[in-house]
Amino acid sequence: MAEQKHEPKIAAFLCRWCAYAGADLAGTNRVAYPPNMIPIRVPCSGRVEPSWVIEALRSGADAVLIGGCHPGDCHYVSGNYKARRRMSLLQKVLKELGVEPARLKLTWVSASEGMRFAQVVRDYVEEVRALGPYHGEFGVPRELHEVEENVGQLVRQAVSHG
Amino acid sequence: MYWTGGCGGCDVSPLEVGEAIVDVLSGVELVFWPALMDTKRADVEALPAGSIDAVLINGALRTEENMEMVRILREKAKVVVAYGACAHLGGIIGLGNLHSAQSLVGTALGEDWQASPPVPGANGDAPPALTAGVVPLSDAITVDYVVPGCPPPAQLIGRFFQALLEGYMPEVGHVFAEEKALCDQCPREKEDRPIERFVRPHEVETDPDKCLLDQGVVCMGPVTRGGCEAACPNLGMPCTGCVGPTRKAGDLAGGMISALASLVRAGEEGEDVFVQEEEVLDGLVDTVGTLYKYALAGTWKRGSGGGGNR
Repeated sequence: MAEQKHEPKIAAFLCRWCAYAGADLAGTNRVAYPPNMIPIRVPCSGRVEPSWVIEALRSGADAVLIGGCHPGDCHYVSGNYKARRRMSLLQKVLKELGVEPARLKLTWVSASEGMRFAQVVRDYVEEVRALGPYHGEFGVPRELHEVEENVGQLVRQAVSHG
Repeated sequence: MYWTGGCGGCDVSPLEVGEAIVDVLSGVELVFWPALMDTKRADVEALPAGSIDAVLINGALRTEENMEMVRILREKAKVVVAYGACAHLGGIIGLGNLHSAQSLVGTALGEDWQASPPVPGANGDAPPALTAGVVPLSDAITVDYVVPGCPPPAQLIGRFFQALLEGYMPEVGHVFAEEKALCDQCPREKEDRPIERFVRPHEVETDPDKCLLDQGVVCMGPVTRGGCEAACPNLGMPCTGCVGPTRKAGDLAGGMISALASLVRAGEEGEDVFVQEEEVLDGLVDTVGTLYKYALAGTWKRGSGGGGNR
């Protein structure tokens, strides 16, 4: 079979106040960035459950990006601090499971940083492309929209019920 | 009752209910229980489909033979119960998914290990092949009920037998344990103090009246179903999560990471805080063994490798 170029699939959890607004700004400014990312809007980066990240990887995402407000800028005071602690612990677990730590990235993007958002996505897509497809032994290769369906369902359930 | 990949503790655990075992045994007719009776696979195969009222399967699925047996039992039984943590979540056996089947056998028996060829005409005697990875029972067949725990605590075994014998089984899918977290049954006092340092149970003498998490010991109570009357915390040991996650926690490790992330906090300003927090978080050793002690195989499968080229 001919070698196909690997297109990374990235699930992105974006905080509605900063990173998601930054993504919106990138859009209104017509800044181009690769279509390898599926954005999932969450109330706060601190609301991102480690189990959503795990589900994203299990559903076939090659990597997970979490975008929150810069430290000190969180709409809920310290949600981004909590996100950092959660993802730091989760990364330790993933590492022990044999998953490259770079497959989970937490980054800060403010609502005014549309250009930065596009650059973060561009850089991360290349970083994940270099890593190759996600560790096939645990992951199930699926399409990006399927990742969104699986994870999106979890997020909607959690955010609406509580 | 059937025993797949497990330690056998579950096979003995019904005795835990004490004298009530007499009532249980007088209420049932045992048709198949390899640990107790001289019944063979052929005896089960000879039974008509759906002729067993209930089968309790303990152990995770690790060999091809496990797979075949549970499929046969599913066909013969009206009700299939995942009994114990291994059948429910993959259990400690499930930690085997951290390694390939090949490297596990190599470590246990030496790299140059070989099965002696079966005697001609006696192929049935060859040891069953290992599957690529460990899976819990629900991955292979439809499971009707779960009696969780490692092994299931007497209270939960009692609840199950009572429901079975009195003929009022709950809705299919029921887990015979509490919906609320174990902390609800735990008598220890919680003060909600931030964790400044993680300690392992052998490193400290814990205060018997205070929450173990407040003392820096990783206790899985907040994400684990109650039902065992907080057996381990009552004896000074942290909960390790054998009864499985509450519905709300979903994934044991995921839920516990959230809980720990709320407890380790150095402050809310400046990036210096990150460094301090990292020092605390680095003190958590063996994260997979601690947070996924029983539930690894249910979440992290080990397939045949490869996994496609996308």
